[in-house]
Amino acid sequence: MGDLIVFLLRLFVLIPFGFICGRFSEKKHLRSLEERESAISGFLVTDLKTFPKISSTSKTPEMLIGEVTIATDYFKTFAGSLKNFFGGEMRGFESLKTRARREAILRILEQAKAKGFNAVCNLRQETADIGGSTLSKKSAITVSILASATAYSTADGNG
Amino acid sequence: MFVVNTETVPGFEVAEAKGIVQGNTVRAKHAGRDIAAGFKNLVGGELKGYTELLTESRREAMERMMAQARELGANAVVNVRFSTSAVTAGAAELYAYGTAVVLEKNGEETADSQVAPPELPVSSSDSE
Repeated sequence: MGDLIVFLLRLFVLIPFGFICGRFSEKKHLRSLEERESAISGFLVTDLKTFPKISSTSKTPEMLIGEVTIATDYFKTFAGSLKNFFGGEMRGFESLKTRARREAILRILEQAKAKGFNAVCNLRQETADIGGSTLSKKSAITVSILASATAYSTADGNG
Repeated sequence: MFVVNTETVPGFEVAEAKGIVQGNTVRAKHAGRDIAAGFKNLVGGELKGYTELLTESRREAMERMMAQARELGANAVVNVRFSTSAVTAGAAELYAYGTAVVLEKNGEETADSQVAPPELPVSSSDSE
């Protein structure tokens, strides 16, 4: 009986709740990403160790770091576990990862812009498993990204 | 399209850096494969299902990265890096990123700017 109540609670409360809140927060995040990305246009972003198009008057390049951890919602976790049973591409988690990476890179670019640079190079990205999702199937799914890059100035001011 | 994990390509020079391009995919194998992998774990040996999973994911991620590069008008992706992460048990993410560039043959700076490198070595996507 207790199990049944828990099952029904999950099915009719947590999953719809996760679906609605998850969609809302994802939309909100994507909107904010788009706004902030369009505010930072003309940045030349590369993962080269050399400095493409560096200007001779560029001030000393500086390393910058952007970190972010975001969580998925209950509905996507549930949908993901279904997909895991049948196999195939997990689009819900793909968009989660993409959002986290865009956020981490954006945090670097915003710092770079605030310091008066207009390009970054040697961009590196690392993932961390904070939620311990590999250890237990029941733990919450979170995504952590650490991005680092070197900021400098280009001659013409845009890529 | 030229895809390498070095920063420069001998015989060519980077005429223009277009910026970062990336591709990712999260994939899982069906439960049957997961169970088979569980059994394999008892006796040891290669988990073929998961090797296959990684191969497919890498191809997909590279395809997406190259599609972005083509959109930017680049003819090569240099300094390609791969990174993987586990999303849940049995599902893996593969992420590929690199710098999209326009490569030109050395010593032909005055030639047409639209020099597509002829007969380049095939990218590593089939070298298992």
